[in-house]
Amino acid sequence: MLNRLRFQPRLSLLSAAAALALGGCEMLEFSPNDYRSPKSQTDLTAKHLERLRQQPVPAGDTLRFVFTGDSQRFYDEAEDLVASVNQQPGIQFLVVAGDISDFGMGREMRWVDDHLSKLKVPYLTVIGNHDAIGNGREAYQHIFGPLNYSFVYGDTKFIMVDTNSREANFDGSTPNIPWVQQQLSSLGGARRQIVVSHVPPQDDDFDPSLRQSYARTLKEAPKLAFELNGHRHSFSIGQPFNDGVTYINSSAFSERMYIVLTVWGDKQFRLKQVKF
Amino acid sequence: MVRPFSLLLATAAVLLAPAAQAASEPEQAPKKTKAPTAAHPWYRPRHLVLQTGGGLGMVAAGAGYAYANNKVETDILLGYVPKRFAGSTLTLASAKMLYSPFTVQLAEQWQLKPLTVGAYFSYTHGTLNDEERGQYTKGYYWFSTDTRYGPLAGGRLSYVRPGSTREEPRHVSFYYELGSNDLYLISYAQNRNGLKFGQVLTLALGLKADF
Repeated sequence: MLNRLRFQPRLSLLSAAAALALGGCEMLEFSPNDYRSPKSQTDLTAKHLERLRQQPVPAGDTLRFVFTGDSQRFYDEAEDLVASVNQQPGIQFLVVAGDISDFGMGREMRWVDDHLSKLKVPYLTVIGNHDAIGNGREAYQHIFGPLNYSFVYGDTKFIMVDTNSREANFDGSTPNIPWVQQQLSSLGGARRQIVVSHVPPQDDDFDPSLRQSYARTLKEAPKLAFELNGHRHSFSIGQPFNDGVTYINSSAFSERMYIVLTVWGDKQFRLKQVKF
Repeated sequence: MVRPFSLLLATAAVLLAPAAQAASEPEQAPKKTKAPTAAHPWYRPRHLVLQTGGGLGMVAAGAGYAYANNKVETDILLGYVPKRFAGSTLTLASAKMLYSPFTVQLAEQWQLKPLTVGAYFSYTHGTLNDEERGQYTKGYYWFSTDTRYGPLAGGRLSYVRPGSTREEPRHVSFYYELGSNDLYLISYAQNRNGLKFGQVLTLALGLKADF
């Protein structure tokens, strides 16, 4: 007992010194665009996908996840959102529909992760236009992962697409339509698909020369349940192209509301708004 | 992480070596007296600076002026960040205004300036997506991608190189500065629960040598 008591202060002193040294390294920032991050805050997409793989949902079971977006510069709200989501029973993960950061800086992405890493469930993101400011696109890839990626969870294939066309100066590259077509053409063992992107195709910030082909690509995907977007900060659900494709827009963190989506069957879903 | 430190150490060694030598030399300065103003015309910088961090470069080097009995300084730095730390090679031009009100004489040749407060301004060149003409409507993003400014606070420890009678003593100093920038501070101001003050701070370590 005595030994233990004598040992502990030394240990805590050591860990305090270690924390200071580590913190010092991070504080020694070369530029606001400097995206160096501790190991625990890099490749977050791959890490969260690995966590998902380790908690598989049995085939045929209902999919239930939290859908939100635009965490940018709303850290007080992020703290409250995490507390609220951690109370939700039966959810499998959380999706942030882009604009993790406000200024495209690595440190902001880490600040958001400081909160979201306290979620009991894994979380996945798609890049937003604010994450593509300055060298944000590089910071996002370092801290989170690829700009376009897909994964299968249970019966659902998720296709995460960079639709921040204005950030690419409407050069016809964003969104990458051939990639979206290729992703939608296969199910990878799933029975339905969900597309997630930040800027919705009906928005002025979406490349006007790609709008029709993007909407058509989604319309021609028979297994698509719906598309999820962020960017507009307020919740909406509708079929803006009147083509049978449902688009759901998330609330920003600042609106203190998120959505719980439950999906079953081919494309049936139920949507619950939760205030926090 | 190792490189900037070793660079700083190397520079420290180079800067301190002649001072040590000068200290051991006997007084044999020629009796030519020059007015201090001639030795230091107003446009000649008083010191050289080398630092790492503080959001101004992995390595930033420059020169500066001192006024008001060395209590006020202006430093101009040029910084460099390699591509692998930021996604593109960055060049940063920055200016600092510093005020150090107190000097504590620790020993004959050692001084401590326990407090330096100031502000900086920086411009970053080489950012990937920093607004092409016509890309955004006016005010689409209200902030500048490349221009940053913010407050600084720190301290320094100086070794005083003995100058000859006609010269002011020359200092070689190690300093640290804690700082932040406009965007980090706005983030903190609006999120007093969700962010801690320590999270918005940056640290700079540097050397300054009079010449």
